[in-house]
Amino acid sequence: MANAFVAAFEILSFGAIIVLIVLGLGIIASMMGIFNFAQGEFVLLGAYITYLAYAKGLPIWAGMVAAPFVVGALGFVLEALIIRRFYAAPIVAMLGTYALGLIIRESVRGLIGGFYLTVPEPIGGSIDIGAMHISAWRFTIIIITLLVMAGCYLLLSRTNFGLRMRATLENPSLARASGISTPLMYGATFAFGSALAGLAGALIVPVFSLYADLGLRFLIQGFVAVMVGGVGSFIGPVAGAGVIGTLSAALPWIMAPVVADVLVFVLAIAFIKFRPQGLIAGKGV
Amino acid sequence: MPKSMGAVKQAIPAAIGGEPDVAMASSGTAKQKSTRKILPVVEGIVLVAALLAPLLLQDYLTVFATRVIILALFALSFDLVWGYAGIMSFGQALFFGSAGYGVALLARDLDITNIFLVLPAGTLIGLTFALLLGGFLLLGRHPSSVIFVSLGTLTGSYAADRLARGWYYLGGQNGIPSIAPMSLGSYEFTEGPAFYYLVLGILVVVYLLCRFLVRSQFGLALAGLRENEQRIAFFGYKAQHLKAIIFAIGGAVAGMAGSLYAFHEGFVWPNMVGVVVSTQVVLYVLFGGSGTLIGAVIGAVIVEGVSFWLSDNYRDIWPIILGVLLLLVILFRPLGLISFVLGERERVGSFGAKPKENVKENVKEDVKEKRNAP
Repeated sequence: MANAFVAAFEILSFGAIIVLIVLGLGIIASMMGIFNFAQGEFVLLGAYITYLAYAKGLPIWAGMVAAPFVVGALGFVLEALIIRRFYAAPIVAMLGTYALGLIIRESVRGLIGGFYLTVPEPIGGSIDIGAMHISAWRFTIIIITLLVMAGCYLLLSRTNFGLRMRATLENPSLARASGISTPLMYGATFAFGSALAGLAGALIVPVFSLYADLGLRFLIQGFVAVMVGGVGSFIGPVAGAGVIGTLSAALPWIMAPVVADVLVFVLAIAFIKFRPQGLIAGKGV
Repeated sequence: MPKSMGAVKQAIPAAIGGEPDVAMASSGTAKQKSTRKILPVVEGIVLVAALLAPLLLQDYLTVFATRVIILALFALSFDLVWGYAGIMSFGQALFFGSAGYGVALLARDLDITNIFLVLPAGTLIGLTFALLLGGFLLLGRHPSSVIFVSLGTLTGSYAADRLARGWYYLGGQNGIPSIAPMSLGSYEFTEGPAFYYLVLGILVVVYLLCRFLVRSQFGLALAGLRENEQRIAFFGYKAQHLKAIIFAIGGAVAGMAGSLYAFHEGFVWPNMVGVVVSTQVVLYVLFGGSGTLIGAVIGAVIVEGVSFWLSDNYRDIWPIILGVLLLLVILFRPLGLISFVLGERERVGSFGAKPKENVKENVKEDVKEKRNAP
């Protein structure tokens, strides 16, 4: 019983981490049609900023709060300078963002070297329920993920900003005719997606520690999750992330980890092949 | 993709439409006579440089040059798939590495190192894997989207990497070390000029075969596919089959390169099937210029050469420079470095056998007669 509960918690917390990482990727992919290969590196940057705050003696919380803003600002600048040129061609966008990611990743590698740097958890210790112990920080991540998901959903579906964003992304010329500044909206969407990645990086760095390939580790899982969930809506990628995260965490409990790793990808690709529109088809929120 | 290739779009109806277009094709060849000179010159220079290299370089540099030639062969395989057919294969290393692992296992477990066995075996492994993966990703009732194919190949390569790392039989993290050298009878190919010329010979043969392939009618169909898949489908071509075929050929070439690489380096390790090598080959081709075979070769030579030259002094910042250069090329020179010397018309080239002079004359007269008739 206790074992099953711990397993369930592990699966849930890993699923939450994947959802957190995929949120930004999914928003950029769904709303802008760009598969951002630099997204993993935005996660890495968020983690690095948190580490910097810790290394300079600031509270870790400060780093975690700053990370999404700094990464979001960077995303906004990069969109205006570079990403903007790629909208017409999705494959070129993949290559261009890959190059961007390479630059960021190697810069961070140059700064931290080939080390694994640990950052302590801002909320340490464990929560005890009877004889079972679950990590307090992982529990916090689950809570924050739920809050961020709800926040994103409300932002996109209920606010004026979200409406304008969706309008721009669905029909740019009509949006322009209605007086919406589409370049600004594209920039804001990309910045928002990057900020989410920065937040994800900041939150997961105590769990996974900081190393240069941190982002790369999640990038492919993230892409697969977006495809499984379905590009075009907000909820699709989140659902896909839930499925992929749960499978990746659950399968190693019942089979050899190596086989489980590969099986998740094989299943996902086979699923996408036979259902290209993904779990949840359709546009909108 | 900013590869605006109006010329090809015109040439497609020319191949299928019949009479009225032959005149257009002939005016095309007349233009070529004046401009069509640079590509053979570039190819010639590269070949001469490659032939002379071992005479001028020190021994350890010859070993390095051999590796570069093998990687150029690998780049060629990616260029066929991406530059000519427009299939973004982000997992080309899967075929490269699996062939490497395959021949390494042959050498380790069965003591087979004969060049006439291992090279075909490696090529066959690459071909088989490419057929399986390409068949799965590309064929089917609904045409697959470009994004799906690129992510599918990327995922395949990543999954293979994880599998190789975790599978004890394949040596896990360490891969398979100290592979016996490739042999021909009692002669063993060890690093050095002999291996270099062997690899160069293979590259030249494969290059010429590829050149023939992409300039044939099959190549024309591929170019049409790359530019406008739907139109090619409307013409009655089985676009998905064409894609699967070129994907498999690319896989076979990658497999051959991978088996040569395994024997040259003497070991294989999980990175060889993984994402790092997959993206490296994309780098080569984008740098040199996709859609020209020589561009892939030049790209591999330049990227590897500069990184070798810089890595002594600037080991840490070289990958950053590489990223910046790549970004600049994508932004400002989407056709690669080769486009500095090579014009658009020549890059597209002409396809199939050249129309015979007298046929053209006849057609022109026919057209004249028809015009005069009423």
